[in-house]
Amino acid sequence: MIRMENVSKSYKNGVHALRDVNLYIGEGEFVYIIGPTGSGKSTLIKLLDGEEIPNTGEVHVAGIDVGRLKHKKVPIYRRNIGVVFQDFRLLPSLTIFENIAFALEVIGLDKVTIRRRVREVLELVSLSEKARSFPHELSGGQQQRATIGRAIANRPKVLIADEPTGNLDPEKSMEIMGLLEKINREQRTTIVMVTHDAQLVNRYKKRTIALEEGYVVADIQKGGYIAHD
Amino acid sequence: MISFFTVLGRHIKSAFLSLFRHVAMTISSSSAVTVTLILFAAFLLLAGNISKFTGNIESDFRIHVVLNQDQMQQEQFDSMHSQLLALEHVEKAEFSSKDQELELYIEEKGEAFALYRGDSPLGNAFFVTVDSGDNIETVTQQIKNLPGVSNATYGGDSVSQMVDILNTVRIGGLAFVALLTFLAVFLISNTIKISIYARNQEIAIMRNVGATNHYIKMPFMIEGMFIGIFGALLPCLLAYFGYEYLYNTMGGQIFTSAFRLLTPIPFGVEVCVVLVLFGALVGILGSSHAVNKYLKWVR
Ligand SMILES: Nc1ncnc2c1ncn2[C@@H]1O[C@H](COP(=O)(O)OP(=O)(O)O)[C@@H](O)[C@H]1O
Ligand SMILES: [Mg+2]
Repeated sequence: MIRMENVSKSYKNGVHALRDVNLYIGEGEFVYIIGPTGSGKSTLIKLLDGEEIPNTGEVHVAGIDVGRLKHKKVPIYRRNIGVVFQDFRLLPSLTIFENIAFALEVIGLDKVTIRRRVREVLELVSLSEKARSFPHELSGGQQQRATIGRAIANRPKVLIADEPTGNLDPEKSMEIMGLLEKINREQRTTIVMVTHDAQLVNRYKKRTIALEEGYVVADIQKGGYIAHD
Repeated sequence: MISFFTVLGRHIKSAFLSLFRHVAMTISSSSAVTVTLILFAAFLLLAGNISKFTGNIESDFRIHVVLNQDQMQQEQFDSMHSQLLALEHVEKAEFSSKDQELELYIEEKGEAFALYRGDSPLGNAFFVTVDSGDNIETVTQQIKNLPGVSNATYGGDSVSQMVDILNTVRIGGLAFVALLTFLAVFLISNTIKISIYARNQEIAIMRNVGATNHYIKMPFMIEGMFIGIFGALLPCLLAYFGYEYLYNTMGGQIFTSAFRLLTPIPFGVEVCVVLVLFGALVGILGSSHAVNKYLKWVR
């Protein structure tokens, strides 16, 4: 489902965010990406959703060569994937309901289907009461759940999430994990999740890929957090 | 899948929502349109009327052809009439008998000449109309050379000078309007660009969730169109009622009937329609241009 070959990414300021990364993630897998701040986790996510282009190497997601997409084709590619952004990226002038609905409108679903699905999703991320609120009226945790809701609304084949539990208390984090596991299990959605949360990684053990200074330093099938030294 | 009209409906709805949620930007962009459109309206009203004046004066271009005293027979008039019509650029030749000539003379010089009534000392004459002011001089020369013609005259240099001046004003006005148009597009594009700048994040997010560039642009363009139309409303009302007021105070003309003004209906209404269409077009162009810039910013 996801294949990265010899991928390197450096930014214009000369920072080498990723170096020679080789990864293969199969359909239906649930994978953690861990690593200290600045190790390149978000950069990896941005390469997967087409926001950044690798300097060398290839990024393939769901059979699409993401690094070579034309500018105007990028949004169409994104309809196949769901992304939970670290900075939420909710449309400030739309309500939570409208934000989730928007992601379904652009792919051309009809009104009735959209309404039904948005209600379903809001229920799933426990935000039904906040449907009419605007993003700025919500707490960080609530906004995070709204982005998760939006990302899964169109039942994507791949869900990539940049620290989706970063702003949540442990209880809510577990709730979100339960939700992600359910999506992974029931819809066979491939999930790539960046996280800092050692507790979570140890509790819900999954394949874990560790980054450090842009290198993949570990890829452990059985999971568990790796102490950095 | 859903139809084109459903999508269009969504775009219009979201454009309206945005207009109301960004009231400040709607007002500032609209007023940028308003200011330029008021100037534009003034020049449309002026240019339209100048065209009319020039037309009026040109239609007054008539050559007065006085015949020799030996030209007294109907056959001679008929032959002269066809000779005049045969000349290039001549559109019309109207006979004016020596008695009619006397009446015109009395009208111009006063009743003192009334005693000549019944035995007019003047020659028979023709009024010749040419197709355009530019040809009047050559045609007059040609007529003078015809046998049986005593003299041929026209309004003279003052009339053709007037036409030259009006033409200059008209062309100058047109150039000014072109400049103004350019200014309006630039202003609106810039105002919208500034206001969309605050929303470049929004544009990026729309791409993030799978909206195509085309889809993103649509509501902005509709929004731009409405901003343009809102901006045109005040100039439109001002142009119509202002012009109507002017028309009525001046009694429908400036000094003489050669400078007859165009009537508020339909001219004022036409100007209004042009303003609204122009506002809408400029709004669409401006916002499309502005959004394009931000679409390119992010992948
Ligand atoms: N847009 C950017 N321009 C320049 N440098 C960047 C940019 N984004 C990230 N970086 C740098 O790349 C490195 C990796 O960043 P990032 O991928 O955000 O790491 P992480 O998510 O693991 O904290 C950091 O040194 C960061 O400062
Ligand atoms: Mg990060």
